[in-house]
Amino acid sequence: MRPFAYAAPGSVDDAVAVLRDAVPGTKILAGGTTLYDLMKLGVEAPPAVVDVLRLPELAGITVTDSELVFGAGVRMADVSDHPVVRADYPALAESIWRAASQQLRNMATLGGNLLQRTRCGYFRGTDFACNKRNPGSGCAAIEGHDRHHALLGASSLCSATYAGDFAIALRAFDAVVDVVGPRGERPIALADLHVEPGEDPSREHVLDVDELIVRIRVPLTPAGRGSTYLKIRDRESYAFALASAAVGLVIDGQGVVTESRIALGGVATRPWRAVEAEQSLLGQPLTAESARRAGEIAFADARPGRTNRFRIELGIRTVADAVRTAGERAVR
Amino acid sequence: MRVDAYEKVTGKALYGADRVLPGMAFAALALARTGRGRLISVDTSAAAAVPGVLAVETHFDLASPGFVMGGGFGFQSLQPMTDDHIAYRGQPIAIVVAETPVAATEAAEAITAEYEDEPTALHLDSEGATTLVQEEAIPLPFLADLKVGDADAVIDASPVTIEGTYEHPPQHAVPMELNGGVVHWDGDTLIVHEGTQNANALRFGLAQQLGIDAANIEVRSPYVGGGFGQKNSLLVHIGPLALVSKRLGRPVKLVLARTQTFHNGSFRPASRQRIRLGADETGKITAAVHEVDQQTSRHDLFPAMHTETSARLYGLSAYRGRQRLVQTDVQTPGYMRAPFESPSMFAFEQVVDELAYKVGRDPVELRLANDTDTDPISGLPFSTRYVADCLRRGAELFGWSGRNPEPRSMRADDGSLIGWGVAIGNYPCNTAATNATLTAGEDGRVTVAVDGHEMGQGIRSTIALHVAQDLGIPVGDVVVQVGDTTVGTQHLTAGSWGTASALPSVHSGLRELRKHLDVADTGDVEVAPAVAAVGHAVTVHADSVGPGQPADALAQSMTGHLAITGPEYPGFVTFSWIAHFVEVRVEPTTCRIRVPRVVSVADCGRVASPVTAASQVRGGVIWGIGAALREESMVDDRFGGFVNSTLEEYPVMVNADVHSIDVDFIDKPDYRYNPVGVKGLGEVSMVGAAAAVANAVHHATGRRHYRLPIRIEHVI
Repeated sequence: MRPFAYAAPGSVDDAVAVLRDAVPGTKILAGGTTLYDLMKLGVEAPPAVVDVLRLPELAGITVTDSELVFGAGVRMADVSDHPVVRADYPALAESIWRAASQQLRNMATLGGNLLQRTRCGYFRGTDFACNKRNPGSGCAAIEGHDRHHALLGASSLCSATYAGDFAIALRAFDAVVDVVGPRGERPIALADLHVEPGEDPSREHVLDVDELIVRIRVPLTPAGRGSTYLKIRDRESYAFALASAAVGLVIDGQGVVTESRIALGGVATRPWRAVEAEQSLLGQPLTAESARRAGEIAFADARPGRTNRFRIELGIRTVADAVRTAGERAVR
Repeated sequence: MRVDAYEKVTGKALYGADRVLPGMAFAALALARTGRGRLISVDTSAAAAVPGVLAVETHFDLASPGFVMGGGFGFQSLQPMTDDHIAYRGQPIAIVVAETPVAATEAAEAITAEYEDEPTALHLDSEGATTLVQEEAIPLPFLADLKVGDADAVIDASPVTIEGTYEHPPQHAVPMELNGGVVHWDGDTLIVHEGTQNANALRFGLAQQLGIDAANIEVRSPYVGGGFGQKNSLLVHIGPLALVSKRLGRPVKLVLARTQTFHNGSFRPASRQRIRLGADETGKITAAVHEVDQQTSRHDLFPAMHTETSARLYGLSAYRGRQRLVQTDVQTPGYMRAPFESPSMFAFEQVVDELAYKVGRDPVELRLANDTDTDPISGLPFSTRYVADCLRRGAELFGWSGRNPEPRSMRADDGSLIGWGVAIGNYPCNTAATNATLTAGEDGRVTVAVDGHEMGQGIRSTIALHVAQDLGIPVGDVVVQVGDTTVGTQHLTAGSWGTASALPSVHSGLRELRKHLDVADTGDVEVAPAVAAVGHAVTVHADSVGPGQPADALAQSMTGHLAITGPEYPGFVTFSWIAHFVEVRVEPTTCRIRVPRVVSVADCGRVASPVTAASQVRGGVIWGIGAALREESMVDDRFGGFVNSTLEEYPVMVNADVHSIDVDFIDKPDYRYNPVGVKGLGEVSMVGAAAAVANAVHHATGRRHYRLPIRIEHVI
């Protein structure tokens, strides 16, 4: 790890000012659970960090008439313990408490978590070629261990998986992040926050270097109650998803699905919404067959690598199970 | 009861690298980034320019420590940074010392090197891997292939035969305590604070490497944060650290990064086990053939001992073992809890399970029918063997009689397939020569300095409990000193012989102490008044050797060498035994495999310390589940080394994976083996656990798995 300059501005305005004038390569530091880790590995070497962890404007969870509002500095552990989130948006709560470990959740913030970088071992090991870490150097994963790599949204340059969980649930609920920069505040739909690797795997999101996420807003929806986040992994804690699915459903008095939300995690290069799979469930009763069919549609375009083909079938089944669980919660 | 629980939970217990000494500097290693080859040049200029850097060294005048299993002291014979040969990825090429750990790490990362690459062989089947027949390559009696009768002919003539080939991946122990420590010089005396299971080998190994007298070296390892075999010998960083410390005239601390511990310490090598069994129509086993290929390094032959246990499991009339070593481009592999026995039983006990299905007999009943009192290899009786009792008690505690033997026949309410599996395991009871010094003080406290190391297994508690019970004094009045070469020899503590070797010399020391205190041979002792009557503190020495072990073993132990005997003793053979009963549940859709409950019943002789013993068994079972379902050290053929070298990517079990593990003991003393009746426990705890999981997965799914780990992709 290289020495770096450290600044801890007292307000969002100050933080933006510091970022505007910062030396190139300056990074925003929140909980530090990813950034410090990558700095120790030599993957990140920022000359300076701007600590936003204690900014008062980034704190707090509020419920309005139309939205759930999370400050970007809220610790992950506080979301999974929040009574309204637990009762009315189980998918949000579950996506958090199934992420990382309790120790990490006590430290990590929501804003930082959204921009968590991939866990590809070749990205994290500086000995290897990686187009994301070192553009143009190639990709060691293509001919290497790709058991955890993306089935959806990959390019010929990079198939590193987006590793987070919370963003998957947010994607299902059409969340919006509010971003502040020198040019003021702007909302970005979570759907537009992350980008696929395409020709430039080093670019993972649309934020400018001097922009800061200040809050995350989730529109209220009855599909929140009928929701779940199912995460399948190699062990029951402290592991990234082999496949995950956030599903929210509304089912009417006749048992017909009237609202359907499905997002996929652990299988794509960015938080992935399975729109056609959602539509396949609408206007009809939920059955084991329709749940399975939704999974098959969600993975219709999946492209496996050398060793991760099993995760297509696993992903289909994960969606099917999550749809069934959401259906049970939705029916009253 | 754990006597050091308070120290551990409050952070007062000082592990090797916890020492903070005045003027201490910090070291970091730079590692080779090629799988094998020749080092052409190392560029240290950027490293030397990092502020705070005190020294950057790429070459050391150090002799080889010798391989611990080849008469030496090191985990491998190869000492890095002594020539231009790179034997494996991750081999150290430079060491940096700086005023802070941050500067040292930054400088180490700034070191670059040029290599002349050579092709690597990393797997048992790799082109360029060299396969050797072990008994020819290492012509020592205890490594000769085990043979009784004509096993192949007996199997060919048997009405029932079963055959299977099983693959076991390389694995790493990843103990919580990282390798590393603090070294400093006090005049001409080198003092090493390092978590180790073998302080005396560090002492004599460093003496050999540095060309100094072992009398001028002290090694202190009062606590080890998990050894599991990786800390059983001298590691490659300590010699360079000692020289750099001398040159700088300052204490130097080095803690390896987690990824570095995957390459600068031993690991469980890959192995392939081919088993053939012959049996009659009732499942009575007639003969077995067990052939093993085990990975080793190019520079050392790590001896395979997989057949030692499989040969003793059942009453066989004929047996043939054959072990081969496959040389690959890795650091030398070594001992990791139940190093051979867990892979060996994973294979053997699955074949036995297959046999039960083939002859239509209950797997517990079939194992009971193959029990024996006699060791098939030597023809000698087992001193004690209560594995049948383990099976019977385990079956009852588990509710085995409720099992429908038909695979895929049992389901939970949520639709999960339920599988119940059983397997047994054994582990040889070796014994080490040990010394003990007991002192009764005027304050009534008894200090016991004994050969042994506290790796978390609880040897300090066990010894304190033994002394307290013998003298009738509070446990708190017993002070146990282990792992310190200034108070005892500190022979290697491993192979489950620690407690069974240390307790006899403590026991003998207690008899001696009673004599010197002029009190009765048995019964409670009022220590302080007895010391007062003598007029001064009383110190006695005692030692012990294994049954039939020559007394010169003590002298051998004092030179840092292995001084063990067993499991074949004059007139008898001693093994510890265990039976594991495992329930798995395989989810109906996503096929996650979970292990909701395990019952394990062990025969370890008398249970010397109930709390720490049960904890040992739980740990062994947890590791067995991890071996069965999760752990594998991954190799990328293009690069060498191990790529999943972090706690995150190397999937050790987490608490959320662990559910009910009921542990019980037969608790019958083995006084033929030693005067305290105690057999080994730590290693046998794990033996057979992975097999029981695999047998349960077969019962749940109808599919048998010939390769570990069994992951979701193998059952979906």
